[in-house]
Amino acid sequence: MNIIVGLITGMIAGATPILLAALGGTLTFYAGIFNIAMEGMMLMAAFFAVLGSFLFHSWLVGLLFAVAGAMILALIFIFFSVTLNTDEFVTGIALNLFALGSTTYLLRQIFKVKGVFTSKLIDSIPNIHIPLIEKIPLLGPVVSGRNLIVYLAVIATIFCYYLVFKTRFGLRLRAAGYNSNSLDSSGVRTSRMQIQSLLLCAVFCGLAGAFLSLGYVTLFAENMTAGRGWISLAAIILVDGHPYGIALISLLFGFFDGLGLFLQSYGVSSQFTSMVPYIATLGALYVYARRNRERERKAL
Amino acid sequence: MDDFISLERIVKVYPPNVLAVDNVSVGFHKGEIHSIVGENGAGKSTLMKLLYGLVPFDSGTVKINGAAVHFRKPGDAIAMGIGMVHQEIELISQYTVWENVVLGAEPVRGLGGTLDTKRAIELVRRKIDEFQFNLDPSAQVERISVAARQKVEILKLLYRNVSVLILDEPTAVLTPQEIPQLFAELKRLRDKGTTILFISHRLDEVLELSDRITVMRKGKKIATVAASETDKEALAQMMVGRQVIFTSKRTPHQRGERVFEAKGLSVTRRDGLKLLDNVSFSVHAGEIVGIAGVEGNGQFELVNSVMGLAAPSSGSLTVNGTEIIKLPILERRKLISFVPQDRGKMGASLPASILDNAIMTHHRLEPRFSAWRGLVLNYRNARAFTDTLAQRFSVQMASRQSPFRSLSGGNQQKLILGRELLLSTPFFLMDQPTRGLDVGSIEYVHGEILSMRGADRAVLVISADLEELFLIADRILVMHRGQIVADLAAEQTTIEEVGRYMLEGKRTA
Repeated sequence: MNIIVGLITGMIAGATPILLAALGGTLTFYAGIFNIAMEGMMLMAAFFAVLGSFLFHSWLVGLLFAVAGAMILALIFIFFSVTLNTDEFVTGIALNLFALGSTTYLLRQIFKVKGVFTSKLIDSIPNIHIPLIEKIPLLGPVVSGRNLIVYLAVIATIFCYYLVFKTRFGLRLRAAGYNSNSLDSSGVRTSRMQIQSLLLCAVFCGLAGAFLSLGYVTLFAENMTAGRGWISLAAIILVDGHPYGIALISLLFGFFDGLGLFLQSYGVSSQFTSMVPYIATLGALYVYARRNRERERKAL
Repeated sequence: MDDFISLERIVKVYPPNVLAVDNVSVGFHKGEIHSIVGENGAGKSTLMKLLYGLVPFDSGTVKINGAAVHFRKPGDAIAMGIGMVHQEIELISQYTVWENVVLGAEPVRGLGGTLDTKRAIELVRRKIDEFQFNLDPSAQVERISVAARQKVEILKLLYRNVSVLILDEPTAVLTPQEIPQLFAELKRLRDKGTTILFISHRLDEVLELSDRITVMRKGKKIATVAASETDKEALAQMMVGRQVIFTSKRTPHQRGERVFEAKGLSVTRRDGLKLLDNVSFSVHAGEIVGIAGVEGNGQFELVNSVMGLAAPSSGSLTVNGTEIIKLPILERRKLISFVPQDRGKMGASLPASILDNAIMTHHRLEPRFSAWRGLVLNYRNARAFTDTLAQRFSVQMASRQSPFRSLSGGNQQKLILGRELLLSTPFFLMDQPTRGLDVGSIEYVHGEILSMRGADRAVLVISADLEELFLIADRILVMHRGQIVADLAAEQTTIEEVGRYMLEGKRTA
């Protein structure tokens, strides 16, 4: 019984940062931006979350710092890619490398440590205990007692769906991606939609990064995002950006992430278990490609 | 009647020194259909884009109801009730009709900017009913016809309460059957008080549709005339600046040996539908055979089969007795010259240079264009060839190295035509050779086709333009639902007869 609960909570913890980053990324995806900077935004956010929480002993300040950190990258992205019209892929790569380098540098300069920084002074984001539900066997320990960000992620999923498909903003956002000429000639500037989507993306990646360094664990480690931003990109592409699909893929990835940790406790070597989520991603990609080819064949 | 919109002494110079609009003054009445005609590059589109605020002009005044206005962007023009539908339709194909129409001016409810879907559909439906557009507001745009998409573009402007509609060659993308419907709708709009400015170079259409016509040539306004007081010849003469002959220059010519022959050619779709059904015909040396038919009745499949772009299900195709069905495309090109329907996609590579486009196919077939055993091109010969081609077919170009897209439509077609003519092939296949060309260029292309016949080459022309076929073809074949339903000598038939075969197939006979 405990094993199942452990696997499910592990899955949720693994899924949350990917889900949030992917939701942010999907907004830019719909706006027609090939945004690969989620990895960098998340890493930046994770670092600034620790910095803010450490300096002010408040997780809330940490959260704000995290969003601000991701926002810095978004603003650079906007300046280069939207204003100066540079290639989005190149800009994204540059930003990811910049995030990795600058957080490592700042870690050494500010905290005078290499590799990992942790401290009793860092205030982590609290877990939320829901009264009554808490008491229900099996369901209680899964639904209640999760990190605040986890609940935010659930709300964010529904929010994103509504925003993209039910609002004026969403109609224009998708129009920007589908046919920017048409949007421009309708009197809405495509670049404005793209800027707004990037800023929103930074907010979501900020939450994701804060979860990594103040929720999942309470520390900052160099390159602690470990490719989650790329996985989130894969999730977006796999389901064509649909928020609920993204949630599903994130949970799947989170499950294999948790499974890896679980296997480790059974003596499987960690080098192998950390491969599991990525192998699962390739597996999903294969299934998806097969399904698509089948669908195309039927369409003919 | 007073002018509702007046353009006064408008000048537009494209740097460095192209005078696109040269001191043009013209007035438009409220509730009239006013056509602007001229050859490609005459400045008619530019003039309308100036009015719409899409292109800034250098001097002159635009007045609406006597007051000077200055539009810096199309949004300003729309706010003043002037809307433009461009030649390329810019809709979001993933969206429904209503989503496309309301985009940018969406009805919302609540604080969060939630779309009021119900009201949006209702508003769009009301506009559709008001103008009798026969559209389903909830239909997906990618599933509706080009003509319907054009209506959505117009609807989009009407939804924004536009009272002046500028249409830039709207009939260029329509099939002949769709055009009368568009015209009926435009006339209805006019009767409701909308002013329509119609850019075109198709004189028959212009005469049928407009109340008044303004003719432009080389950036200058030549005249504004009432449609009822002019005719095609007079308009053409004003447009081109010389007399244009609309009667055939075809002289009798003895046809020679059989060159091309299709026997029992069929293309069957996966679901069993016969797109090309047992088609047999031949083309002789020194003969021009025209294929008439409503588009989509098998012409596309016929061209693909001949050129090797898609294999037919059965049948045989021979050129000078050689079976070509199994031949690779390059081998076919030794026998067949080909002018495709779509200049920009199949006829040429738009971003590639004029030189690259001029030597295409030639560079594979003729050793003089390659050096080092075919590893590199011989540019000296390629340059010489391009110059000869441009001179022989009077292609106006800035330089050999300019991208192909920088040429005007007429010059593009001349280059492609010239390139294909200079291949020494016995058989020539042309698919809509004059589509989108202006009167002067059409006359030129027809002259070239006729001189090929004089040189005893076999020519097959597919055209949606019946008048064109009657000008050049010796024999006219009519395609209907994948079959050839009539084989008529051009001298012994009429446009009316061919038209009946096109619409009704064999039963008329």
